[in-house]
Amino acid sequence: MNAKLVARMAWRDIRSGEMGLLLVALLVAVGTVTSISLFVDRLQSALLQESSNFLAADRQISSSRAIPEEFSDQARQRGLDTARTLVFPSMVFAGDLNQLVSVKAVDAQYPLRGKLVTGEEPFQPGAPTQDVPEPGTVWLDSRLFPAMGLSLGDTVEVGLAELRVTRVLLAEPDRGGSFFDLGPRLLMNLEDVPQTEVVQPGSRLSYRLLLGGDEQALEALRESLPLEPGYRWVSVRESSPRIGRALDRAESFLLLGGLLGVLLAGIAVALSAHRYAQRHFDHVGVLKTLGATPTQILRGFMSLLLLVGIAAIVVGLLLGSALHVIIVQLLATLIAVELPNPSIRPFLLGAATGLICAMAFAMPAFLHLKNVEPVRVIRRDLGVAPLSRWLSYGAAAAGSLLLLAWYTKDLLLTVWTLMSIVGICLVFGSLAWVLLKGGRLVGMQAKSGWRLALAGLQRRRTESTAQILIFGVAIMLLLVLVLLRTALIDEWRNQVPEGAANHFVMNIAEDEVEGVRSLVRNQATEGEFLFPMIRGRVSQVNDLTAKAWQETHRPNDGGSQLTSERALTWAVRPPENNDIVAGQWWSPDSQEAEASLELDYAQDFGLELGDRMEFDVGGQRIWATVTSIRTLEWESMTPNFFIILSPGALRDFPATYMTSFYLEPGEKAFLNTLLSAYPTITVIEIDALIAQVQKIVGQVSQAVELVLVLVLFSGALVLIASIQASRDTRMAEHGLIRALGGTRALIGGSLTAEFLVLGSFAGIVAVFGAELVVAMLQTQVFELQLELHPWIWLLGPVAGALIITVVGLTGSRSLIDSPPMSVLRGLY
Amino acid sequence: MSRTVVSAENVEKVVQTTAGPLVILDGIDLEINQGETVAIIGASGSGKTTLLGILAGLDTASAGAVRLLDANLSDLDEEARALVRGQHVGFVFQSFQLLASLTALENVMLPVELRGDTLAQSQAQELLEKVGLADRLDHYPRQLSGGEQQRVAIARAFASKPTVLFADEPTGNLDTQTGDRICQLLFDLNQEFGTTLVMVTHDQGLAARCGRTIAIAGGRIQAPVYQPQQASAL
Repeated sequence: MNAKLVARMAWRDIRSGEMGLLLVALLVAVGTVTSISLFVDRLQSALLQESSNFLAADRQISSSRAIPEEFSDQARQRGLDTARTLVFPSMVFAGDLNQLVSVKAVDAQYPLRGKLVTGEEPFQPGAPTQDVPEPGTVWLDSRLFPAMGLSLGDTVEVGLAELRVTRVLLAEPDRGGSFFDLGPRLLMNLEDVPQTEVVQPGSRLSYRLLLGGDEQALEALRESLPLEPGYRWVSVRESSPRIGRALDRAESFLLLGGLLGVLLAGIAVALSAHRYAQRHFDHVGVLKTLGATPTQILRGFMSLLLLVGIAAIVVGLLLGSALHVIIVQLLATLIAVELPNPSIRPFLLGAATGLICAMAFAMPAFLHLKNVEPVRVIRRDLGVAPLSRWLSYGAAAAGSLLLLAWYTKDLLLTVWTLMSIVGICLVFGSLAWVLLKGGRLVGMQAKSGWRLALAGLQRRRTESTAQILIFGVAIMLLLVLVLLRTALIDEWRNQVPEGAANHFVMNIAEDEVEGVRSLVRNQATEGEFLFPMIRGRVSQVNDLTAKAWQETHRPNDGGSQLTSERALTWAVRPPENNDIVAGQWWSPDSQEAEASLELDYAQDFGLELGDRMEFDVGGQRIWATVTSIRTLEWESMTPNFFIILSPGALRDFPATYMTSFYLEPGEKAFLNTLLSAYPTITVIEIDALIAQVQKIVGQVSQAVELVLVLVLFSGALVLIASIQASRDTRMAEHGLIRALGGTRALIGGSLTAEFLVLGSFAGIVAVFGAELVVAMLQTQVFELQLELHPWIWLLGPVAGALIITVVGLTGSRSLIDSPPMSVLRGLY
Repeated sequence: MSRTVVSAENVEKVVQTTAGPLVILDGIDLEINQGETVAIIGASGSGKTTLLGILAGLDTASAGAVRLLDANLSDLDEEARALVRGQHVGFVFQSFQLLASLTALENVMLPVELRGDTLAQSQAQELLEKVGLADRLDHYPRQLSGGEQQRVAIARAFASKPTVLFADEPTGNLDTQTGDRICQLLFDLNQEFGTTLVMVTHDQGLAARCGRTIAIAGGRIQAPVYQPQQASAL
């Protein structure tokens, strides 16, 4: 067939609606993939950028030793931005008052990502700034002003250097990090460090080289630098596991959503292509009698498919982009992040999806058209040999595999999803078949709608089974997505519950406890715990000094030291979020000196149950035996202790206490009151950190919901396509029944009954499948707790029946309304 | 002596059914010469439509040889048979078989377009005028009556200027009056184009208008009746 003829046939088919559903299905496939991946692409970069703020850079190299110039030279050669910071604890003096602070010295390039926020008044809102402290000046945390009786313009001493306080430091991007590092901050210029003379051998120093720029350049740099041992490469995921994990899961979910969207659209494409082909058997028969050769037919219909495919791709890409722009606009108020420009990948992905969908899902049906026998024109009773199942299923499976693998870049997830769908189809296909066969179904006795429907279902058992499966899989995929979304968002929200403590108070002396508590109680929501804190260090393990022990068990380690001073506590019961994984927690009335260690800590220093440890607490020595090992919920916003001792060991030592409280954002001035009344206590503000985490969780949740809506649309399309696919058969049957005297009510009743049965069976299939898939995904991919969802067991079948019936009846309205004559004459 | 256009030699058609092989055609021999008008008659299930399908190259025989002009259809694959059909054969069917998605004009243009010929439109228009549908060119089949649809089908059949025209119960779906008019049209055009006409019918009146009648019963030719005076009159 020549090109003009093909074009004309395509146009006719599109105009007459024959091609409509196929075109829409392809459009939805392309549009969904394009918009989801455009959005995900941009959101991913945005989230990455946002979370890079946690590092004030894209990557960091950190070490307790000075970072060689050579590292930054290499980074600059690769076109990367660099900045240097140095963090160390130091006493700072102002007149008679002194305070232990965490000093951060930065160069002029700091920070590479995110912004410093400074102001003129402690605890008041400030403004972002591009500057860093000039040489000779420092910026201080709000809490240092009341604690040390300072105001702007005053001078403080850091080591031997005298530095002038010029601004209040309100926020710094890379504030996160371990809980006990959050001492009050003093920000100074790196150039002033030598004159302080505090940097001596043995000082606790944390050098960082901040890196920013192109991903590839960063990775290449990582490959080329001699980092081990002693220099640690830090990315967002490593430095902020909470954010890292949320990002990982969100990515997996978005990809999975996109993946299911593509699968659903693929099913819709296959169904509508099948229907198109079936409706063209006669058409091809006529063309063949008129002299069209099989090659011509093949070429013609392939060109037609290609034409429709290209049209769908072009329109789909436009539609996808438009949709994504609308989404971005809609979410603009929610997503404060400026979205970076999209890459070309989403468009390529969209186009490839259209092409692969057309080839893998629609082509088998089109290929089949060339096998139509021309004699069919005079012998309508001759059917068309069914399409090779191997060809159609094989092509669909290969197409899905290709698409999904490319889309997710995760072969395991892809294969796993496909395998479970195939498995579910096999198991539930057989089940549906048996259900249909085993039911006591009566023959073609058109007395009631139910009997008519059941007879029809049984007669078309293969088609009915397929339809139950298709409906079932579609509903299942949607359920999977809804359940996972709920689980994910709940989990994220639970990590940072509303009203969770956002301020911690440490260094409360025993005689200050009541005063601080009553002040806090009046002004804020008090946290639940009150931990005693006692500073101490490990001095000996079994027969070795702590130093010797570490050298034997952990040589060449540039990381933390066993001998470092740590916060110790004692407790009667294990704190919340602590799980004992080895040994046993002491009994509440135990008088023995026992120790409980955090798992990683124990492993890092080669400590085991039964080891005896000596602690140096303010010069006094105590021995304790390790009797339990714990794991911690590092993601919970509560203080965590590596070492907890039994009351018998520590109770008699003087301790300071810590507590926590929740403060509304507008009431920060309370901190001033608190610190003026109790200048020696330390307040740690983590409200900014919590806000940052909540913002990211919020954004990711938005994206997740959005993907769900798009996939729901694909699902609806599959339902419509599937109902359309069986429409012709139903039409012919019901036309005949009406001609023989069946009333409209009978036909309507029969259709309703048929869809109710199909829908509820599909709902049952979907519920079983969804529970299975969700269970696997939760445990294997998302690392969430396994849980069943009893509420969907009833909801699935009922919703399935209702949705299928409504969509089915809507799609079959013409079947009930059109006069039987036009049905019999084939004029529908 | 005019040349043989269609011939069958010991043609058999057997189909496999669940109850065993079913013989539909059993040793059919026939020759049809250029310009002849031949009616194949027989009761329902006699095998006459199957024979027509095989003679026209729409179907293949289980055994025996079928020749259409110079082509031995038994030796050709579907690809080659399609080319022969496109080149030499026209069809008129009981159920019209117009493509619903094409207008009357486009339906008539189709066989010529399939052959890759140009100038299809003016020829098709001319043919539709001949069958009295000059004002229905842009109508779709569903907008036409049965008689009108069959007239479009006849115009389509002659559009490719076929050597042989096969007709399967061409008036079977029409009332007597319309059937007569269609029949007249068919014979008129047949005469005008000098086409060989092979028609399956159970209408005795229609059969009587043909030069020759071949009766089939139980898959065999019953009594070949040759009416040379009518054949030579064409």
